[in-house]
Amino acid sequence: MGNTMIRAENISKYYRLGVLGSGTLKEDVKNWWYRKSPESLSTTSLSRDHIWALKNIHFEVGKGEVVGFIGKNGAGKSTLLKIISRITLPTTGRILGKGRIASLLEVGTGFHLELTGKENIYLNGHIMGMKKKEIDRKFDEIVDFSGVERFLDTPVKRYSSGMYVRLAFAVAAHLDPEILIIDEVLAVGDSEFQKKCLGKMKSVSGEEGKTILFVSHNMQALRSLCDRALILEKGEIIASGAPINVITQYLKSGKEQFLGNDYSLDGFLPGNEFIRVQKVELLPEYLDHHEFIDIRTPLRIRFEFWYDVAEPGDLITGIHLFSFAGEFIFDLPSKRYTLEKGLVRGECVIPGNFLNDGSYYISIVFVRNTTIRLFYLESCLSFDVEDFRDNGSWFGKWAGVVRPDFPVVLTPQLNK
Amino acid sequence: MDKNGGWQWEITANPGWFRINLKELIHYKDLLLRFVRRDIIASYQQTILGPVWVFLQPLFTTFVYFIVFSRVAKIPTDNIPPVLFYLPGTIIWTYYSDCLTATMYTFVQNAYIFNKVYFPRLIVPLSYVLFHSFRISIQLILFIAVYLFFAIGGKNIHPNADMLLIPVFILITAAFALGCGLIISVYTAKYRDLENILQFVLRLLMFAAPVVYPASLIPAKYKLIFWLNPLTPLIESFRSAFFSHRPLPLFYLGISMATSFLILLLGIVLFNRKEIQIMDVI
Repeated sequence: MGNTMIRAENISKYYRLGVLGSGTLKEDVKNWWYRKSPESLSTTSLSRDHIWALKNIHFEVGKGEVVGFIGKNGAGKSTLLKIISRITLPTTGRILGKGRIASLLEVGTGFHLELTGKENIYLNGHIMGMKKKEIDRKFDEIVDFSGVERFLDTPVKRYSSGMYVRLAFAVAAHLDPEILIIDEVLAVGDSEFQKKCLGKMKSVSGEEGKTILFVSHNMQALRSLCDRALILEKGEIIASGAPINVITQYLKSGKEQFLGNDYSLDGFLPGNEFIRVQKVELLPEYLDHHEFIDIRTPLRIRFEFWYDVAEPGDLITGIHLFSFAGEFIFDLPSKRYTLEKGLVRGECVIPGNFLNDGSYYISIVFVRNTTIRLFYLESCLSFDVEDFRDNGSWFGKWAGVVRPDFPVVLTPQLNK
Repeated sequence: MDKNGGWQWEITANPGWFRINLKELIHYKDLLLRFVRRDIIASYQQTILGPVWVFLQPLFTTFVYFIVFSRVAKIPTDNIPPVLFYLPGTIIWTYYSDCLTATMYTFVQNAYIFNKVYFPRLIVPLSYVLFHSFRISIQLILFIAVYLFFAIGGKNIHPNADMLLIPVFILITAAFALGCGLIISVYTAKYRDLENILQFVLRLLMFAAPVVYPASLIPAKYKLIFWLNPLTPLIESFRSAFFSHRPLPLFYLGISMATSFLILLLGIVLFNRKEIQIMDVI
């Protein structure tokens, strides 16, 4: 045990689905009569009217450890954090722990719009478990951090949403728990403020040795803040380990990528009497041995097709890249080739540091004599490009369709 | 290392019936006071008269009772000036009904907070009761002012030392209201139908207590059941403390106190047991 701060043993959570209505009382009486409790149900049982949000979860968190939970919506991350925060009860199992917990499932919980900023600092602080003396002591720091000192005596309903969030986060940042539970709160505020918050989180875990549990969809933040990551899928922990490995596994498994197809395997080659496509492949040249595509990864596209046009003429193939939103990003044509009948291979590399992070798909067009479209192979490849940043100070979405790495040089000029 | 092997807290599927953690409640006393303060500030934001409303509400009610029950229906008031007669009943009844209505919505109204942060949920109903206790204190000042006005006017009133017990009467009322409110809050969270039923029950209950008529009006055969209502001896004692030499109905006061605190205990135990489970059904 020693340094363990939290130990979860066999945690399961059962939810009854459906509307609670006129049938509720009847069912309650029935359950009471037959003494049927949820505990008597097995976690493997399936039914239309209930769901196991968590199934037999075990984990331990050590002192000073920062643990990130990854998972799709509905995987049970938030339920787990809620159980640890004592907002909802587990159906089975228990959690043992040491030290004061503060949960940031939301910032600014309990803010009252009619009250002034100052009143709300106290109200929110108390709700989060701070005592008056503690807030008195940190009051100036909180106000400083929030940057709204001029509006302390204004009711928060007159605040802009940015000011509101900053004030709320400022209170949260000055909680002094041994264990901090955070759910997706990094997604708030402008970039400068985000930087401040993340810096605060880093110092809280690093210098102050606080234990942090957090849930985020932001892989960048997870990568740079966590000591360990866990994947939750359908209520179960399916992986745990160093963040980079776990994130890689998550990105590989979670996304609907379509990195290639060898059509000859299922015997049907898409095409027509002129063109039959045999194979398309996207071959990322992975860096650091992590098998997911990030913005630095060069992407090799390779395709093979049977060319079956007897008359003289030439062929151009075009690679069309679309964003998932359907924006046409580029149309990359080949040169004009005069080809014999037979199998042809096409290849092209999209260099690293070219595409921005996001989801993309590719279509390939085959054109004869620059005007006649022989065949259009629609969305034959799809892939996701993950973000990567060296300096982990800002995790907001990078704007733009492409993200080239051209050098921008600043040279100080002497004023004569 | 203590007996739990160094663990300081435990979350289990079944928290048990008696886990009222006084130490924790005390830790959150600042929150309790802050909630009361919030409610006081918020309830008079953007009103012109502000706290004056605390005075005006019982005055208006008393005035209506005076017209309807005294002038029109001609219900006797035990030879006490009608305005003075209605005020104690109105004040105690309003306090009871305000505390009850506020606490019974604890879960429904605070679900958005309860869904995000843990703190002992009991803090919220306690803060409601304290908020209304603040109001009743102001109303008592009003009552004493009106009382002195009549006393100087030489009316037939007989103050006696029993009036020192007024805080005790209020405490019993608070216990009764909070107890009922806690029990009801647990069930209204799940069965919203209760809210509708309770509106009628509350109205009925008001006429079952001697708010607009004196207890002396009740026929002998209903006397016992009438006096078993915990509010009856409280209102009657309040009146007799200010208006007569009659001895306090100590027997019924004792029963009222016992009933109220029993209900309160029951309410606290039930509330504590259910406070987290309720979050899944709300």
